[in-house]
Amino acid sequence: MVDLRNVSVTYSNGVDALHDVSLRINDGEFAFVVGESGAGKSTLIKLLLKEITPTSGRIMVNGFNLEKLKKRNAHKLRRTIGFVFQDFKLINTMNVYDNVAFVMRCIDSPIKYIRNRVPYVISLVGLKDKVKCYPNELSGGEQQRVALARALVNDPKLIIADEPTGNLDPKTSLEIVELLKAINECGTTVMMVTHEHELVRHFGGRTITIKDGRITFDDYIG
Amino acid sequence: MKLSSMNYLFGQGMKNIWTNRIMSVASFCILSVSLLLIGFTMLFVANINRFVSGVENKNEVVIFLEDGMDEITVTAMENTIKNIHNVSSVVFYSKDQALEDMKNSMETENADQLFSYVGEDNPLPDAFRVRIDDIEEISGTLMEINRLEGIDSIKSPTDFINILTGLKRFIGIISVAVLLALILVSLVIISNAARASVEMRKREIAIMKLVGATNTFIKVPFFVEGMFIGLLAGAFASLITCVGYSELVKVLTQDMTLWSIMSVNGFIPVSEFVVRLAAGYAAAGMLISAFGTVMSTRKYLKV
Repeated sequence: MVDLRNVSVTYSNGVDALHDVSLRINDGEFAFVVGESGAGKSTLIKLLLKEITPTSGRIMVNGFNLEKLKKRNAHKLRRTIGFVFQDFKLINTMNVYDNVAFVMRCIDSPIKYIRNRVPYVISLVGLKDKVKCYPNELSGGEQQRVALARALVNDPKLIIADEPTGNLDPKTSLEIVELLKAINECGTTVMMVTHEHELVRHFGGRTITIKDGRITFDDYIG
Repeated sequence: MKLSSMNYLFGQGMKNIWTNRIMSVASFCILSVSLLLIGFTMLFVANINRFVSGVENKNEVVIFLEDGMDEITVTAMENTIKNIHNVSSVVFYSKDQALEDMKNSMETENADQLFSYVGEDNPLPDAFRVRIDDIEEISGTLMEINRLEGIDSIKSPTDFINILTGLKRFIGIISVAVLLALILVSLVIISNAARASVEMRKREIAIMKLVGATNTFIKVPFFVEGMFIGLLAGAFASLITCVGYSELVKVLTQDMTLWSIMSVNGFIPVSEFVVRLAAGYAAAGMLISAFGTVMSTRKYLKV
């Protein structure tokens, strides 16, 4: 669950990135967050990851009060969230298996469980035959699937996808969003940030529009 | 952290050495060269000190006595000199003994015949051979001895000793300064190499942080990597130092005459320092490298 109350962010250079934003995404929801470049989408994600702290307001994510959460404990919050990024953010020196397994190793999962769970999740995203491949041996769509597998493997309550289709062709983009929708149907909350309005119109559902650091639209479409 | 995780992180550290092999080799080379520079400087200083100490041990002062002194006066004088501060030993060296030694030191067959001309009238004086504790205080000691009655003259290597003690002090100061400068420069170069190595992996570190890795989880492989490179560099530097030093000593001691003239007892043998050197190299290499690497990650852990 994501809950922002009257959140504002002003950067040290004076830029007002978010202004009095209140937003709630309930457990099990799928929400698109749309907006042009510079609208405040990235700031919103940075807030949810505790990369930055708000100038004012209160943020709750998966039961964590981010105001009270110390930076050195940010990993506790991040372990409850699965992330998917536009640039995939895979570790180039690790193969598909190790990239996915890494997040399980971070939380001290038993080796046996990792050995069973990782191949299963990789097969869920359709990359069973690419387990030993390195990121640079995969297409953009395949890399994003690996990122999705990594986001899924610890069974997080929430998946935040930041422009996951930004580097992909339209067909692959549709596949990735379909995968996110499938994940959501299994009960995981999904927040997908995008600037591709066509994609949003195609899938429909709850859409939150950010413009100039303010929420200008929050409703169901399609 | 579970044992299985520690195993994984240790393995990752070792794997990273190969994955980032160019930077690993660069760090290894820089670390080895730094250790070699420091090691050879220390050995140079240690050998100089050994040489100076060797010369110091020959700090014998000969006190020639006036002619015609009776045995009681000589014994009393011996006791007085013994009690002077900084005197370590006093040995009476009779004029007869001196003449005998002189005869023996002459390598001619007809030395006996030559000395027969001297007859009963031995022209050599009685003397004391005095050893000094602290060579740096020899001037004061000699002044006290000079005050005694019955002394004809004193033979002491004062000028040489003065040069030697001055040289010792100079070398001491210079070597400490050079060593400090070398250590400082090495630390800067090594930490820069570590920083460059970590800089190349800042994206990797940022990703690890974003997917929920703790700082320790990220740092441990870097620590292992740094330690292992440090250990390798220490072992390599030990090998090069021992082999290089032995060869150098072989070349320098080919003509021992020069060294014997300079009263050198020989260079410090490798066996005397090899264990300490290897342990020192390994410990310094591992500590500097591991902590340098881990410290360099700090900047990128603030995600």
